[in-house]
Amino acid sequence: MSTTAGGSNPEYVTARVRSRRAALFSDEEYRKLIRMGPAEIARFMEESEYETEINALGARHSGVDLIEYALNRNLAKHFDDLLDWAEGRLYDLIARYLRKFDAWNVKTVIRGIYSDTAREEVETDLIRAGEFSGRLLDQLLDAGSIEDVTELLDGTIFAEPLRDAYDEYEESGVLVPLENAVDRAFYEQLIEGLDVNEATQLYHEFLQAEIDFRNVRNALRLARSGADIDPSEYYIEGGRLFSAAELSSLAANPDELVQHLRDSPYGDDLSQALDELETAESLIEFERALEAALLEYSDRLGIVHPLSVAPVISYILAKEREVDNIRAIARGREAGLSEEEIEEELVIL
Amino acid sequence: MAEDVKPTRKNLMAIEDRIELSERGHDTLEQKRDGLIMEFMDILDQAQDIRSKLDEDYDTAQEKINMARAMEGDVAVRGAAAALKEHPEITTQSKNIMGVVVPQIESSRVKKSLDQRGYGLLGSSARIDEAADAYEELLETIILAAEVETAMKKMLEEIETTKRRVNALEFKLLPDLHENKEYIEQKLEEQEREEIFRLKKIKAKKEEEEEEEAEKAEAEAATAD
Repeated sequence: MSTTAGGSNPEYVTARVRSRRAALFSDEEYRKLIRMGPAEIARFMEESEYETEINALGARHSGVDLIEYALNRNLAKHFDDLLDWAEGRLYDLIARYLRKFDAWNVKTVIRGIYSDTAREEVETDLIRAGEFSGRLLDQLLDAGSIEDVTELLDGTIFAEPLRDAYDEYEESGVLVPLENAVDRAFYEQLIEGLDVNEATQLYHEFLQAEIDFRNVRNALRLARSGADIDPSEYYIEGGRLFSAAELSSLAANPDELVQHLRDSPYGDDLSQALDELETAESLIEFERALEAALLEYSDRLGIVHPLSVAPVISYILAKEREVDNIRAIARGREAGLSEEEIEEELVIL
Repeated sequence: MAEDVKPTRKNLMAIEDRIELSERGHDTLEQKRDGLIMEFMDILDQAQDIRSKLDEDYDTAQEKINMARAMEGDVAVRGAAAALKEHPEITTQSKNIMGVVVPQIESSRVKKSLDQRGYGLLGSSARIDEAADAYEELLETIILAAEVETAMKKMLEEIETTKRRVNALEFKLLPDLHENKEYIEQKLEEQEREEIFRLKKIKAKKEEEEEEEAEKAEAEAATAD
């Protein structure tokens, strides 16, 4: 589990991360992948970094599912290594971000229990990339009820919020309160207690942007859905753009929200996306622009403070982007999208 | 057929009654058939619109879910779907269109707001929302299509049955009855003619006999003188 005290070893971790980063797919390799069908992509991956995972999962899965599971497993392996190498404060900084996979796994287990899904199926969908040990994940998989899951999670950031949301879940019968509690726990611990100095400044800004963008996306989704829900209920603390009350009033008036974003520090990065948002019916394009803006941070993270958490986080984001891109290409090809469509709509280089 | 009927006046009257009844039935059924066809044409237009909407909705839903699967991953989309186990409910009632009982399907809990879909809002994306929206829309169209197309099928069956009845009356029953009527009428006329002829014959014979008797009487009187 996380430790904030003790020695940190950024030199060692960043050196190892540098070699891992070099193994990521290049633009040239993406261009090749875009021209391939799902089977060819799987074959291509078999001769790359993903060989072990493709071979291990080849007997159980096929087609694009094989690719997706192999990608997830490979991602988990790399991120797990990062947590193994890192010590002290560096571990804490990395774990903060990787806990999103813990949140994912908790939600997956809870959904499995809720919908009576077989243990094996739930297990396949787990991404063992977070801080949870293999033993804890196995115990979670064996849990028979949501209360058992909460008990097993004692000592993690998720136990208390889940306990608090349980009554609401019982009352409503839908998983929404529990899922929101898990996600909120993840987002709010991102910034909490983060020691901001020169080395972590950009990382801090990145995490704030992640929270701000999440708040904006959720407010817009609520506003567009027409549901009678107060956006402040879904507000995540820690961003620098708005307070809960501000978000509530802005969500009711999308024009003001757009103006607020234009005037914010993200204004330049998002100006094109905001133009589209004003005219487009779908939020998807806007979400893509937000993701692209976040990735800009990740690129900047890669070049500042070479011996800090920054290059590690930059690698994590680049690896996630690689996994997302390969999956998008494979799924896009499976769905019959053309090379241009995949390039335009799916792949973020 | 006609030879099976006894050519009696009673049968003729019965046949005439049946003809009258059948003609009335024929007219009514013809009106019903025309009415059904008009209703059917309305439903057909509606069904065609719904069919093309169904195709559109299906394509949109597929596109949205493909995009969601591509960008979020199949695991995330399946996960979001697994976060809800409540199914939409469908109740069926029936309504009557010109004697044809057609179903009326009412659905509830198909369209859901963001906080009723099961998956958490904080950890999901607009792609999943839009895929869910598109599938909810598709489901509503499927339910509507089921209602309209079942009504159309039932109307078609009824039109077919009514058409068969009208044709049976027009081309089989009524011609047969008319033939029978004609046959009986002819037979009765023939019998009448025979009767008249027979009566004439009897009358002529009687007159002949009377004449003979009168001649005989005259002859006897002449010999007596």
